[in-house]
Amino acid sequence: MDLQKLMELPGALAAFTYSDRGDLQAHELREGTEITPQMLDLLSRSCVANLAIAGMEARGWEAVTGQSGFQPLKGFSVVGLEWSVVVNGNSGVVIRNRDVDYEAAFAALQVA
Amino acid sequence: MHIIKQLMAIPGVVAAGEYAYRGDRFSYQGALTDEFARMASILCRANTLSVNMQSEIFDSFAENCGCRPVQGWIVRGAEITVCVVGNYFAFIENRHDLLNDVMTIMRAKIGDIEDDLLVNLYARIGGDAREALY
Repeated sequence: MDLQKLMELPGALAAFTYSDRGDLQAHELREGTEITPQMLDLLSRSCVANLAIAGMEARGWEAVTGQSGFQPLKGFSVVGLEWSVVVNGNSGVVIRNRDVDYEAAFAALQVA
Repeated sequence: MHIIKQLMAIPGVVAAGEYAYRGDRFSYQGALTDEFARMASILCRANTLSVNMQSEIFDSFAENCGCRPVQGWIVRGAEITVCVVGNYFAFIENRHDLLNDVMTIMRAKIGDIEDDLLVNLYARIGGDAREALY
């Protein structure tokens, strides 16, 4: 994943990649942001966990309800007070809420 | 107009609802049965609790970092996306710009979620989050 491309998203504060186990592998930070590599490392672990849980829920929901369209997952986002983190696969981007374009972020992460 | 009705008026919104603390009190409109809406409410509540717990952990590493209190979460599926803000949820189709519109409306109408979201959810069934459970 091209982290520089993710940093071009409006309001992007940080972009990062992580291993399947949730170890932070690479990151880019916007100058002046309060996001730290330590936070990104923690975020990476929660991203892996949340994507796994969301995958399980999507699979279960489709099986129980007979509804479709949830699988395969195209990403997950947690909306914080000031910023949102949008993740998919092994990449994520932290975006300021006032500038966030969720669709563009999910689309950018889809390229991976 | 109530936010659920407002969301349901948007083409591409499949279902929208509101859930209370345990997920066992809910209201909804759209393409869900009562049982599926109950399940969706429980699922949304469980995920909301989970991301709130995670944000508190983040906060212990970087106080006032801007993630807390969590406002909501999104799961993007292949054709359907689930959006949750506070104690409201919406199932929407993956149409162009619909996700941004729905999130903008939900954030604007529901407003900033305060730290006491879980206390408020519990209060809706007449409970007090500070009382002992056992």
